[in-house]
Order: sequence, then C-alpha cells, then structure tokens
Amino acid sequence: MPAAIRDVMPAFELFQPTSVADTLGLLERHGADAWVMGGGLDTFDWLKDRLRKPKVVVDLSAVAELRGIKDAGGGIEIGAMTTLTEVATNALVKERFGLLAEATGLVASPQIRNQGTMGGNVAQDARCWYYRAGWPCYRAGGNICYADTPTAVNREHAIFDADRCVAVNPSDTAPALIALDAQMVVRRGASELVVPAQDFFVGPGVDITRLTLLRPGDLLTAVRIPGTWAGKQFYFEKVRDRQVWDFALVNVASAINASGNAISEARLVVNGVSARPYRLEAVEAFVRGKARDEQTAEQAGALAVRGALPLRHNAYKVPLMKALVKRAIRGAGAWTS
Amino acid sequence: MADYKLIGKNYVTPDLVAKVTGKARYAEDYRAEGMLFVKLLLSPRPHARVTRIDASAALSMPGVHAILTADDMPAPPPPPAPPPAPAPAAPRPQGEAGAPGAAAGAAAPAAAAAAAAPAAAQPPAPPRPRVPAEVALTKEPVYEGEPILAVAADSEDIAAAAIERIVVEYEPLPFVIDPLDSLRPGGPDGRLEGNVFVGANVETLKWTAADIARIEAGTFPADAAASETLVFGDVEKGFAEADLVIERDHYQQTTSHQPLESRTAMAYWQNGKCYLHGSTQSVARTVAAAAGWIGIKPEELVLISEYTGGGFGSKIPGAQSMAIPALLSRKLNGRPVMMRISREEETYIGRTRPGYQGWLKMGFKKDGRLTAIDMFIVEAAGPYRRQGDHATSANNTSLMYQVPNMRFRGVSVATNTPPGTSQRAPGGLQASVMVEPMVDEAARKLGLDRIAIRKINSPEGQAQFGLAPVNAPPGRPRNKVTSCFVKECLDKGAELFNWAERSKRSGQRRGNKVTGVAVATGSYTAGSIGVDGLSVLKPDGKLYIHQGIGNLGTHSVIDTARVIAEQVDMPWEKCVVVWGNTGNHVAWSSVQAGSQTTYAHSRANYAAGQALKRNLQELAALELGGAPDDYDVGGERVFRRGNPGRAIPFAKAAELAIKRGGKFDGHEVPKELNGMTKASAAALAGLGLMGVARDNLPRDGSTYSFQAAFIEVEVDVETGVYRIVDYLAVVDVGTVMHPNSLGGQIHGGGIQGFGHVRSQNLVYDRHYGAGLSNRMYNNKPPTLLDVPVEQPMRWAAVELPDPTNPIGAKGIGEPAIGAGGGALICALADAVGDGILRRTPVHPEQILMSLAAGKPAYETLTAFI
Amino acid sequence: MPEGPITSVPGGQPGVSRRNFIKGVIAAGATVSASAYLFRANIAGQDSSLPGSVERLITLNVNGQERRVDVLKHETLAMTLRYKLGLTGTKLGCDRAECGACTVLVDDVPHYSCSVLTHTVRGRKIVSIEGLAAPDGTLHPVQQAVVDGQGFQCAFCMPGFVMTAVGYLKTNPNPTRAEMAHGLSGNLCRCADYNKILDVMMNAAEGMRRA
Repeated sequence: MPAAIRDVMPAFELFQPTSVADTLGLLERHGADAWVMGGGLDTFDWLKDRLRKPKVVVDLSAVAELRGIKDAGGGIEIGAMTTLTEVATNALVKERFGLLAEATGLVASPQIRNQGTMGGNVAQDARCWYYRAGWPCYRAGGNICYADTPTAVNREHAIFDADRCVAVNPSDTAPALIALDAQMVVRRGASELVVPAQDFFVGPGVDITRLTLLRPGDLLTAVRIPGTWAGKQFYFEKVRDRQVWDFALVNVASAINASGNAISEARLVVNGVSARPYRLEAVEAFVRGKARDEQTAEQAGALAVRGALPLRHNAYKVPLMKALVKRAIRGAGAWTS
Repeated sequence: MADYKLIGKNYVTPDLVAKVTGKARYAEDYRAEGMLFVKLLLSPRPHARVTRIDASAALSMPGVHAILTADDMPAPPPPPAPPPAPAPAAPRPQGEAGAPGAAAGAAAPAAAAAAAAPAAAQPPAPPRPRVPAEVALTKEPVYEGEPILAVAADSEDIAAAAIERIVVEYEPLPFVIDPLDSLRPGGPDGRLEGNVFVGANVETLKWTAADIARIEAGTFPADAAASETLVFGDVEKGFAEADLVIERDHYQQTTSHQPLESRTAMAYWQNGKCYLHGSTQSVARTVAAAAGWIGIKPEELVLISEYTGGGFGSKIPGAQSMAIPALLSRKLNGRPVMMRISREEETYIGRTRPGYQGWLKMGFKKDGRLTAIDMFIVEAAGPYRRQGDHATSANNTSLMYQVPNMRFRGVSVATNTPPGTSQRAPGGLQASVMVEPMVDEAARKLGLDRIAIRKINSPEGQAQFGLAPVNAPPGRPRNKVTSCFVKECLDKGAELFNWAERSKRSGQRRGNKVTGVAVATGSYTAGSIGVDGLSVLKPDGKLYIHQGIGNLGTHSVIDTARVIAEQVDMPWEKCVVVWGNTGNHVAWSSVQAGSQTTYAHSRANYAAGQALKRNLQELAALELGGAPDDYDVGGERVFRRGNPGRAIPFAKAAELAIKRGGKFDGHEVPKELNGMTKASAAALAGLGLMGVARDNLPRDGSTYSFQAAFIEVEVDVETGVYRIVDYLAVVDVGTVMHPNSLGGQIHGGGIQGFGHVRSQNLVYDRHYGAGLSNRMYNNKPPTLLDVPVEQPMRWAAVELPDPTNPIGAKGIGEPAIGAGGGALICALADAVGDGILRRTPVHPEQILMSLAAGKPAYETLTAFI
Repeated sequence: MPEGPITSVPGGQPGVSRRNFIKGVIAAGATVSASAYLFRANIAGQDSSLPGSVERLITLNVNGQERRVDVLKHETLAMTLRYKLGLTGTKLGCDRAECGACTVLVDDVPHYSCSVLTHTVRGRKIVSIEGLAAPDGTLHPVQQAVVDGQGFQCAFCMPGFVMTAVGYLKTNPNPTRAEMAHGLSGNLCRCADYNKILDVMMNAAEGMRRA
C-alpha cells in the first residue's frame, strides 16, 4: 500500500464568504467536497496529518454575522464564530452565565482561545489517539475499535454508553451549555433548526462517525442561552494532567437554582466520560428539593456513576466523576456567580 | 575566594540581543538559492525488513528531484571493539563513552575511566553478535518511525505528495515494546541478533517460567537472571545487620527529549566541501561523526550550528539524519537541500530516556545509617545499544548514600521504540526518583528527621563511591570525588526553607487539600578534562576566543570564555566569542553534556589564558628588555612591574607577535594540543598573538556536583490533582561563574524533573507496536502552569570552590533534575503515604485510586502505558 | 499502525493531479520573493466569479509595512513569514498549536501563526518579533527586560514568548505573577526556564508601565 506522511497540509481551494447566505451556497455547491473551517484548530490537525483532503475549504472568518454576543431578552446569543476569549471575558456572559465563562477560560491555551470559536469548540471531533492517528476504526468507517482491545491504552476513553466506539467528547464548553439549557442554531439549506444543546450531540449508536448532528452542508450559526439560568449558582471543574493544552480527563458543569439551602432545580452535565456530554438527569431529579449539603452531594456522586463500565485503564474516571459531581452539588469552596 | 572582575558577576551574554530580536539563526533559518525540500518516509512498523520499494510514480512527478534510500548510505564504520566485559563500573561520563558515533579516541575521560577499571580476568568467550550501527536510512527498521527513504522536491507540498505515491513492502519481524515481554521464555527479541545488550553486543536472555509467574502475580522477580552485576561489600551481610529493611517494586517511564527545535538540517556542497547547517550540542565533537555518516573526511565538512534550540542530551553528536540532506545535495550536484523535521518525526527520531522496571531493597540501622542497598533494574534501551542509565543509577546512589554494601543487577533490553540516549542526568534523575522516597519511608518508620537521615549517609570531602564487576580482583581502588558539599546544601536549605517549622505541615489537611513537604538530593558528574582553549589577540585590540561547544543557552559557551579574559584583564566589551561553525576554526571541546562544560572549559581556558599571558610577558621581555616575569598585564597592556609606563598596548603586542611569528602568533603550538585545535591554530596563525593550551592540569578523582531541593505541595485528595506551592534549591557547584545563568539551570532542571514525575510519558499499543503519544499534547512536557507561579522559585549556592579547578567551578546542569523530580515525588508521598507512588508519571488517578483502595492501585511492572 | 487501508478514511481525497503540478511548476516564477521556495505548486484552478473566492496575490501588513506576496490557499502565516518574507525570527516548534514558538500578534492579539491561514489575515496588522524594536534598534521594553534579566536559555521559544507577553500586557498592564503566568501559559519552554521568564516578564510589565 502507498506510504503515509503526517506532515504538510494538502492543497485545497479556499473560499472566504462574507455572509451566511453565500456560505450556504458554497456548501450546497460543493457538497461532500467542502470542509467548513471556523478557528481552524481542529481542522489543521486533520489536514496536516493528511487524513482529510477536502477539495474545498470554506473559511468562516469573514462572515461578520457569525460573530459577537448579543443580549437576547435576559439570555444571550453567541455567534458561532465568536472567539473563546471573547466568550470568556465578555461582561454579559460573566454576569449572567459565569459557568460558561469559566468553562471557556479553561479551554486549551490563551492563543487557542484567541482563535478557537464557540462553534468550533462544541463541534470539534473526538481526540481518541487511535482515531486521530488515522487508524481505520469504526469512527473512521472501519469495523474495529482499537481503543477497546486487551492491549489498548484507553486511559482517556469512555465509561458510559460506549457502542463499538469508546471515544469521548472532548469539549469543555459543551457541558456548560447543556447545563444552561442552551439551544444550537443550525442552518440546513433553506431551513433553520433550533436544537437543544443536549440533542445537538450524538452518540455512536446514532452516528458513529460524528459527535454532533451536523451533516455535510450544515452550518452551526449561533448558540442561544435562555435567561432561565441567568445568575444562578454554578460550578465548573476540569481535571487534566497539565494545566494548559490538555483536554479534560473529566469535567463537570452544574447550574443550581436554590431557595435558601434547598435545591429547587439543578442541571448537571459531565464530559470526558462518553461520546456525548453526559447529562445526569437522575441526579438532577434526586437532588430536587434536597438540602444542599455534604450528604446530598455524596449521594449525588454515588448515583451519578451508576452503570459506569470502565475499560482497562480508565476505572479512575468513576471515583473522579463521583468526586466532581459531589463538588458540583456541594459547591463548597467552589466558584459561584 | 579570588577577587574576580568577570567571574561570578551577572552580565548580558552577547548572543541575547540576536535571540530577542529574532536574528539568531537556527538550522531552519538558513536559505539558499535554489533550495529544495525533503520529506521522509517513515517505517509504519516497529520491526520489519523492507522487501520492496517502488518509487517510480513518485520519481515521475514533476518537481521531484531525487530519492535517497538505505542503498545510498555510506558503509558504516566498523563497530568499536568490545570493551572488557562486563561493562566497567566506573562512572560513565555522560555522553562521552555512550555517544553513538562519537569520534573514536575522543573520549578522554571515558578512556580514563575505562582504564581505571581493571580488565576482568575472563575466559575467552565465543564471539557474540555486534549491534549494527544506526544509519540515517534503513532497510531493517527497528522502531516505528525509523526513516526508510527521503524525497527531495521543489516544495514540501510535492515531496509530501510524492511520499504518498511510494509503495514500500515490509516483511514483519518480531518486536518488543514492554521489556518484560522479551524476557519471557519464547518472548520476542527486539533485534534479529538477540534481545539484551551486553557491552557493545547483543545476547539472548530469557527468564524462567517461575520468574514470569511472579511477574504475572504482580511482583518483580528480584532473583531473576541479570546480564550485568556490580557489587561493593557484602549485601547479604549488610541486610543481616539492618534494623529495618524496605523493598519496593518500581517503574519509571520512557520519556522523549523534545527539544523545541527539532533536528532540522540543511546542506549544500561548494568547492568539494559539504556545508551542513544542523543542530548539535558541540560542533567540535559532531563534525567527525557527521562526516562519517555522510562518508567523507572531517576536513571535507563545514558544520554550522550557532544556535541550538535545546538538546538535553539528544543532540550530543548531532543526529544521523543530518546526513540525509547532505547526501541528497551531493546527488543533485550540490544544490541546497532543506530537511525540516516535523514534531512527530522529532518524537520518533529524536531520542529517549530509557524507562525502568525494577526493584529496590534498602537496609537501615535504627539511627538511619544505611547497611545495604540491593538494586535490580531492567532498562528499556531502545533498539540500538545498551544505554546504561540503570548502572549509572547504581553508581550515583553509591555516591549519594555512602552505603558499605551494595549490589546492582541489570538487564538492558532491546525495545522497538525510539532510540535511547543520554537525557539530562541519565540515570541520575531516575536514581533520585527511585531512592529518595524510600529513604523518607525509612525516616518515618525510624522516627528520624528526613534531613538527618540524609546527612548521616551523605558523602563529604573526597568521598569514595562506585561498584565493581563481581569478578574484579580485590583491592581495586574505588572512585572518589574531587569535592562534595551536599551536607552544606542540606543545612543551608534547611535554614532558608525553615525546614524545622515547614516540615510540621506534613500531612496537614484543610478541607480536601493535604500538604506535603519534602527534601531530596541529586548529584551527577560535573566535569571532564583534557580539552583545549584557543584565543587570539588581534591588532584591532580585541580578544577572539574560539569555542567548539555550541550555544544551547546554558551560556557556558560564553561564561567559560570569560576565564581567558579574566587571566589577561581584558575588558569584556573587547572580547569576541567565536563558536558554532567549524569553518571559523574552533578548539577541541567537550560534547557539552553531562555538566562537563563549565568545569572542562574553565580549566582549558584558564590554561589558554595563562599561555596568552605568558606570550605577552615573553614578547614584552624581548621588546622592552628584562625577563618575562618582570612583566604583568592589565589595562589592555603588558607592562613592567613597578614601571607601568614601560608597556606595550595589546593591539600593538598583536602586531609585534605577527612580526615575530613562531609561538607568538600561533605558527608554533604546544605538541600536546588535540588535533582539531592544532588545525584551527594553524588556520588562525599569523592573525595576532595566540594563547592556546590543552588542559593538562592535574585531577585526582571524578568531579561531581550536588543539589538539595526543598518543596511544598498541595494534594487534592478528592481528585488526585496536585500543585507545587513552594520550591527552593541549594547547590554545590563550586565557584559560581554567572548567577543569572546558574539560576536558570537550577530551576530549568528542577522543572524538567517535575515534568518527569507528573506528566511526561511515551505510550504504545503493545499489540501493534505503535506509538500513541507522538504529539506534545499527548506526551506532555511541563507547562508554565505546572510550576509554582504565585511565589517565585528560589535558589542558593554554597559557593565552596572545587580544589581541582583553577577557579573552583564545577558543572551545573544535571543534579538539578534529580533533586527536583525526587523532591516532588517525596512530597507527594509525604502527603498521601509511603509505598503508594511507585510508578511515574504520577497522574491524578494514581493518587485517587490508591487512596480509595487504601493500597497502591497502579502496578509497577507494565511499561509504556 | 495496523495493517489496512489507512488512507481510506471518510473524507480522504485522492492526491493532487499531475496536470496541476505541471501548472504549478510553471507558476513558480511568479513568486514575489527570492526566498519563496517552500510552496511551488499551484494546485486547483479557481472560478473567481464565485462569492468568497480568493486571489493568491495579496497585500499583508507586516511589522508596519505593506507587503505584496503570492500566497497559496493552504499556506499558514508561519510559512509565509518564514519562507516568503524572510522573517525567520518566528519559529516553528511543533506546527500544531501545542508549543507557542510561532506566536505573532494579529491586531495586537497573540496567535499561533502555524495555525492561521495567511489568507485569513489580509488587511490585518501582523507583528512578528522583527517588528518590535524601534527602527534605530531601541529594544521594546519587553525585549529589554529579557536582556536585562538574562532571560531564556536556548531561546527557540523566546520570540513566541515575547510576542505573547507584548499582546498580553496590552490587555492587562499590571498583572500579578500568577496572572502573568496564565497569560504566558500558551508557550512552552523546553529548557523549562519558566521561573526566570516570569521574573523578566514581571520586570517587563513594570518597564511598559514606566515607558
């Protein structure tokens, strides 16, 4: 078979449309040949590894209407091309949805946040090191999962909902957005889909080759966060080996509406444990009406990890997730808005 | 201490403005008209034989100019003669004996060390297979990523596309990722010649089924067969005398050096000479090796490496791959060829520190005095040669802990992973990380202070150390150090760190955070001898100091040049340091590794400075009358003592020296100079007044530097995440030559030690033999947020001169990494308990799972996961 | 790597056609700089009537100068600076946004130039390490602080660190040491001279405030 080389971006035709309409036109015209590029950080990895060789790259950086953060009736709307730094430092975001500011500020590195986008962070591909090295696995269209063999090194992989593929969603902002009950605005040809963030992400059972419902030709244009959770109590924590660059081993996002010491409502999402950000609806139901204390937190943690099925090298994610969920409920010593 | 004008003072090194304005040129910064670009085809298999290469489609592509394969490689020089077996126990001057391709006969200290180890009386053994030398391109790749062929094209675009049109067929061969797999009966061999490196050879060693059963039960088989054994005293007797015996299995990972500048190289030919821009730690010590890889004579090669973007041992002899652009350029009539090495390629071909699987047993008296140490280490050596970190760990331990009885057993297993080489304190780092936590455990079990248990076992003065082969004749003198002030480091650190109070915080819990406080020590070789100093005082009134070592940013290339200036009272502004280009005629130098440089080159440059001064004195006597000793130098003049008006300015002296010729202007030089220096002196002869000399100063023993490091960490016991709160290092490096630079070395080394303990790793899928961590975000070098940032890290020096160096200086770089790594793992153990962290890197889960289980949760016997 | 057609992943496309390479070689003479060697292939043809289509010959504002340069569609800013404009002070350490050595300022904001398509920064203000010092050679306060403190070792990371510091200090002129560390944290130093780098950058912040 021909040799492979993992260096030098292959040539492509580049388009830099200035409107969503032109972008959609280009995507329609080029179909599966087109690659949509936001900040480019995930894109360049695929291209420089020469594992993806799109004929056409549609660069969204000149589409002004995809940028910016707007006040939207107590909530906000964030354009898909808004940089992560803008999200993390925006006064409105910090005031209403500190959870998202916090999560966004922990993504990768400052320069990556200066360029990486809101849309790119939620739509990024899996970081399973077998998949990213170009192995012909399920996710790449093959018929094996190399990360789930007796010799596989799968420290960073899934403990929930694995279905053939054991890759996890690497996003830090995704769990925060789901906790805030955000909606994703997607243009698909002439129609606009507004999808709850939770449903934007898909597991391998639905589509083993993608982490989101975005199909070729689709364009994520904005993220809308309703006012429902503005100014509530939030907790975000990300555990990783190095405090820069590394993707989360596990992260947690919680939004809690409390009256006095009682939790009236909570939303709780963990990422790094399955192919979709893992919403803990059973835990949310369990804590509703309970006192926000150590005991509730402890029980919430235990409940959260029920049904976990670790692989050979990632059993630690069970106690780690348990601890993070506990802290997300307890909130003690935690940052709150 | 002498009252120096330059030595010991902070100053701005002359390279710094070039660096900070982007003008400093590294190998990839050179351009030449018509330059072509190279891309490499790397082996996708960990071990295979190339059976067919079809490059026809690539060669027919427009813009593709040439393809280079293993068939184009010059015949490698014959492997060196095997050393007396088993391997000598004397300390391995890092990077000297071990450097692949290091010029034969160049390793003076290594040769001295080998000579000090009497040849063992061995019955004649049957001839054993030698290890084929590593060549830039191969037909039998022995690790995934080993280069098979190279394409030169008009652009990287075309070269990369051409690679994808080449078909290479491979016959798969057995391979080894985890060394212990290779030691199983019937287990794979990493090389066709065998599975274990012994000296310069490969042998076959398999453990018994019973040994393997113990591994499978989770215990290191400490009585398994070793391919090398070194002893001092009687280890059984020592353990019998002990009041406390501790033994632990242990694993340390293999790490990649990851210099930020990859080993990119550019080459072209002009007038029969090859001009090669590469990245090496010492042009003087690389030029012969590189010429050999290209298949030319050293004098046919001009090697340029003025700025080197990090080496850490991985660029000691440059890199075999430097031959690729040189050979492609020759094929293309000398046309310039640039080979940019990508980060992934650097991870493959850029060298590693060997990992350990092992076992350590230590016996102590009630007062903390060590009675015996028994150490067994299996080293993951990579595919090409015995690395020997494991034996160095034993040697270093025998110095740091003056134990009366010690045994080392080791096996150096051939693994089909990127080649090993020296990485900052090879064996020294691993020794600290392995030994220091067990010393702490003993202190806690015996109720002793952790500084006290170190001091009772620490070396001092001209302390002896070292082990010998089991069959060495009795009465063999041990090695000894030229100076040692580690106890002073511990005392000074205890005071500055307020150890008495701080150590009370050990194990204190606040909420989910637990504090760990610790101290650890590190030591390493700190100086070789026998290199040369070369300087020319020119009629422009400037002093030109020619150094063969490169500019790694340790500043030693500049700092040691100041020793010449100091001898003749030359204003520093009038000194020009010449380095990094063999075309500029450099002196024979150290490899600039193993902390040799400061010591070796301050000696050599002291000798050269004295020669320069003597030449000035003799010249003045001839010109102005009287005897040479009637004259002194100062104020850029040589003048008559007591009559300073009777003087010759330096610029004038340079002119007069040229007129007189002979020894004054370098037409006659000392016979004992190394060959390269003679050639350089000949090229510079007639340009001014020369000061050139070989370091023939006496030395009895080996020179080592020492460090004690103090640390406080905070461990989140709910998640296993930890952070370093405070750090202090105190060094014994003799006279401090350049405080700012020393501080950088101390903390840079310390942080690299942190990286070893907390994050750096190479990971493989053992079934496929494939590397999974070829990217930095997977192999994880330490970042700025993995070090203390609220509070500056601190350092101090005990500043006690070494008696064997004329200015009292010793080497700097290596002890820092072991002390830093050792301190961090000791502090983690202080926070979470003894015997838990027996595997590096210490990821959060190791702490979390072990605390949850109440016992170590991560086994120590599997490598590369 | 396992056996199998590893190149046949979804999205994989056949390589560049021979016809286009021939075209590329002919086009090579049109490059604007004598040092423009890296990319000689003009690959796909283009229909400039389409919305969003891109011209190869563009004007870049680099270090205060307008530079006309022929840029391939897939060319990164690091490659343009290093191989087309002769600005080799910007270093390539990883080419993958994981080391920071290639950091430059785009409209005052630090970016990894290895991971920026040059065509996305047309009309924006690019500053590389060569653009910091004054024309008379007076160093920028951040550069001066590095020199005064003998900062960095091998210095391959230094241009990137300096550019990040200059960019960061524009957003936070009076940082604490920890804030400075966070600001610079997207730059890797393999000599691990982080402590001294933080020392000199804190001095740099002070120098900037005085300046």
